[in-house]
Amino acid sequence: MDIVTISLISLAILIVMLSFGVPLPFCFGGALMTMCFFGGATMKGTMVWGFNQLSNPVLLCIPLFVFAGTIMSESGIAASLLKFVNIFVGRIRGGLGVVASVSCAIIGAISGSGLTGVAATGPLLIPEMAEKGYPRGYATALVANSSILGLLIPPSVTMIIYGWVTDTSILACFLATLGPGLLITALFSVVNLVMARNFPLILDPPKNMAETVKEGVTLTSRAIPALIMPTIILGGIYGGIMTPTEAAAVAVIYAIPVGFMIYKGLTWSVFVEAAKNSATAVGAIMVMIVFSLMLSQIFVMEDVPQALVQGVFTITQNKIILLILINFLLFFVGMIVNDVTSIILIAPLLLPLMEAIGVSPVQFAAIMGVNTAMGGVTPPYASILYLGMRIGKVEFSEVIKPAMILIAFGYVPVVFLTSLWPDLSLFIPGLFGY
Amino acid sequence: KTLKISHVRPQDTAIDKDLRWFSETLAKASDSKIKTKIYPASALGDYTVVQERVGLGAVDMACQPPASAADKRFQVVYFPYMVKSWEQARRNYSAGAPLRNVVAELYNEQNIHLLAAWPVYFGGIALNREPVEPGNPEAAKGIKLRVPPMKTFQLLADKTGYLGTPLPFSEAFTAVQTGVVDGVIGSGAEGYYSSFRDVTKYYIPSNTHFEVWYLIINKELYDGMSPEQQKEITDVATQFEDRRWDMAKADQAANEKQLADYGATIVPVTDEQIAATAAKIKKEVWPQVLEDVGAEWGEKVLAAIKE
Amino acid sequence: MERIFKYVLMILISTVAAMQFFQVIMRYIFEIPVMGLEEIVVYPTLWLYFLGSVNASREDTQIKANVLDVFLKSDRSRLLVRVIADMMSLIVSCWLTYWAWDYFKYANRVWKESPTLYIPTIYAEAAMFIGLVLMTGYTGFYLLKNIRASLRQAYRSNPDNIIADPQPEQGV
Ligand code: NA
Ligand code: NA
Repeated sequence: MDIVTISLISLAILIVMLSFGVPLPFCFGGALMTMCFFGGATMKGTMVWGFNQLSNPVLLCIPLFVFAGTIMSESGIAASLLKFVNIFVGRIRGGLGVVASVSCAIIGAISGSGLTGVAATGPLLIPEMAEKGYPRGYATALVANSSILGLLIPPSVTMIIYGWVTDTSILACFLATLGPGLLITALFSVVNLVMARNFPLILDPPKNMAETVKEGVTLTSRAIPALIMPTIILGGIYGGIMTPTEAAAVAVIYAIPVGFMIYKGLTWSVFVEAAKNSATAVGAIMVMIVFSLMLSQIFVMEDVPQALVQGVFTITQNKIILLILINFLLFFVGMIVNDVTSIILIAPLLLPLMEAIGVSPVQFAAIMGVNTAMGGVTPPYASILYLGMRIGKVEFSEVIKPAMILIAFGYVPVVFLTSLWPDLSLFIPGLFGY
Repeated sequence: KTLKISHVRPQDTAIDKDLRWFSETLAKASDSKIKTKIYPASALGDYTVVQERVGLGAVDMACQPPASAADKRFQVVYFPYMVKSWEQARRNYSAGAPLRNVVAELYNEQNIHLLAAWPVYFGGIALNREPVEPGNPEAAKGIKLRVPPMKTFQLLADKTGYLGTPLPFSEAFTAVQTGVVDGVIGSGAEGYYSSFRDVTKYYIPSNTHFEVWYLIINKELYDGMSPEQQKEITDVATQFEDRRWDMAKADQAANEKQLADYGATIVPVTDEQIAATAAKIKKEVWPQVLEDVGAEWGEKVLAAIKE
Repeated sequence: MERIFKYVLMILISTVAAMQFFQVIMRYIFEIPVMGLEEIVVYPTLWLYFLGSVNASREDTQIKANVLDVFLKSDRSRLLVRVIADMMSLIVSCWLTYWAWDYFKYANRVWKESPTLYIPTIYAEAAMFIGLVLMTGYTGFYLLKNIRASLRQAYRSNPDNIIADPQPEQGV
């Protein structure tokens, strides 16, 4: 059997194990076993390699951004951000839905993952939206879809992983998804305003000017300590004060006293619980990462990427067709695996192909970023949508239709634009000299 | 079986081309019996982990710096200011010299056979801002330099008036670009051109250390070859090394010129200034590192260095 | 057990954050970066990763795709899929643990040290082997638990054995 066939078999095993609900680290273990038993690959030295990769300081961003995000959502920081955004758009018809998108974008500038957004805004926004006349399923779909902006507005765990496995500047990757991320925020806001026309919304009674201003000032000053958080992270990184890892640590250390003393959401037991939950999530992610990396390394050792490039080139060499095909591939991959995994497995395989057709690694970062983000809400494996359903207490049948509308009008256009219009992803990094 | 050779630089760099020459020449010399395939850009892991993998036989060969995680005595290869000139370097690092035998023995303990040396460059300092008294080791410069995680370089930066700042290599480029640090120490013109050219505004060729990489092979693999094959591979490796010694000095000049053409200012440093720095380093840095590698063993190695 | 994991993990993740924070303060405010700190931080970090993952196995909150569950309607077939998944997990987990043991032996033999402080790296490397052993243990525990649950369910779904007891337990 040739190596491509064996690799495909090992991926098939991976998918079977995934569908049965085997924990992800062991799914990769199963694929590794297949490569070793049938492909002549060896685990000898692979553990050494994997462990070395895992000790890489770049990855340390991940636990710290997850921790920062969890503390933010537990401490009341997120809630005060929501109220702040509400000052600006809360009054218009459908405004509450816009609040969801925009708050998730701001929270995205603190946390590295999509789950944080749902966890932080869902418990506050979904009940409130439902109370104001939005269908519960729609509210859940909107919050889940928007919270993926956490992966597109820097900093982002997926971009850290991408930059690291492909040896591309992580800061450039962060900026590459910013354009598509802002575009999605705008599209979600528009889609929401259009959809809201059909909902029996209950609007707040109009207030007089003086009251509005007074309330605005109070809420803004309440929100300042919270708004400092994204400022510290982005300003610290791009202002040359600290590395992304350090910025994440500073955000954690900043959020603790703010959560305990200013917003008072944190108590000792809430903090311990949040730390434990972060550590558990981190452990699950990192151990999954190490085994998926080992699988990817075995593919590299067996020259699978080159074989793949040659194989694809015998089908077509047309750049546009290839990019569209790759988006379909990424869409299907996104349906069955999670963001980080998809990047670890696919990015090193496809990057040589991308370079051969003249797509820069930074643009490819954005393509992978948007596709893997969308994967978080595309069933059957839609971790972020499912978490949203749990928080919003709605059934899959209620949430799927609005989710599909948001995906079709929010993500899909941006996915294709990111692929076919390089400036969407390359312009902002270009401003920073990447 | 095709032997996998790993190295740390991108495709089409000097080492990549030389290894391709090695690969083709070896194929010819062995009647295509010994086939090799090159994995550039640390595709099989960074040099530390590749050295371990060569020791285990999971990667067959590599051409890269020695990794001191496995044995801290490898630091002796990179003693700062140990050699002054290319001629002296060749006398000390090439086959037959006492230092070479020491290195071969250290590799041997890692289950690795040393085939050849590949001299790279004399190191220097790359800065993203104007240098401050670059020739004077006593002047406090207020410049933050990213140092690799090796004691020799950390001490070297601190003792010559810089603020040595430990950062992982993977974060070094962006750290210089955003201004977390002002520059980098531990590499040379070739390395800076390869990885830091966009943030190198000034290059100070202060001969910090002599960088040399080694072409290594798993020991069992080598021992298992027939005597003819061992001879073939050793011969081609020797040619690979000799070609490089003939080329290296010119290559270093070419890399400095490339940096300059790319927009960097090459800061002139005189021999006297280098000598003054060397004297300070020998007095203040060497004893500390010698302590770490075992004073008695280290002094014996240093004593055998030829002028 | 819950308390031990809670506090150990809290201490690990807080230590990691505090060390990084300390480094920024030392470098940016006091301009005296601490040499070797990034070397030390690797140790709590790796224990954090593996013990975090062990806790995920213990709580049964490892990341799973559960694609089949979307199509399966009866609790009984879901439980059967769980048992099959747990069996596959256990096999793979044992295999990985074997290789982690192989790596542990290797690491113990070569006894590497960190680059400037010369702390033996085995103190971090051991996390992988110990982590996998514990993960395998918890995987086995859930396998047994789910086998028992599915046997009980089979017993109950037999019309001869109708008893009024609480609902059978299920995977989370
Ligand atoms: Na983010
Ligand atoms: Na999905």
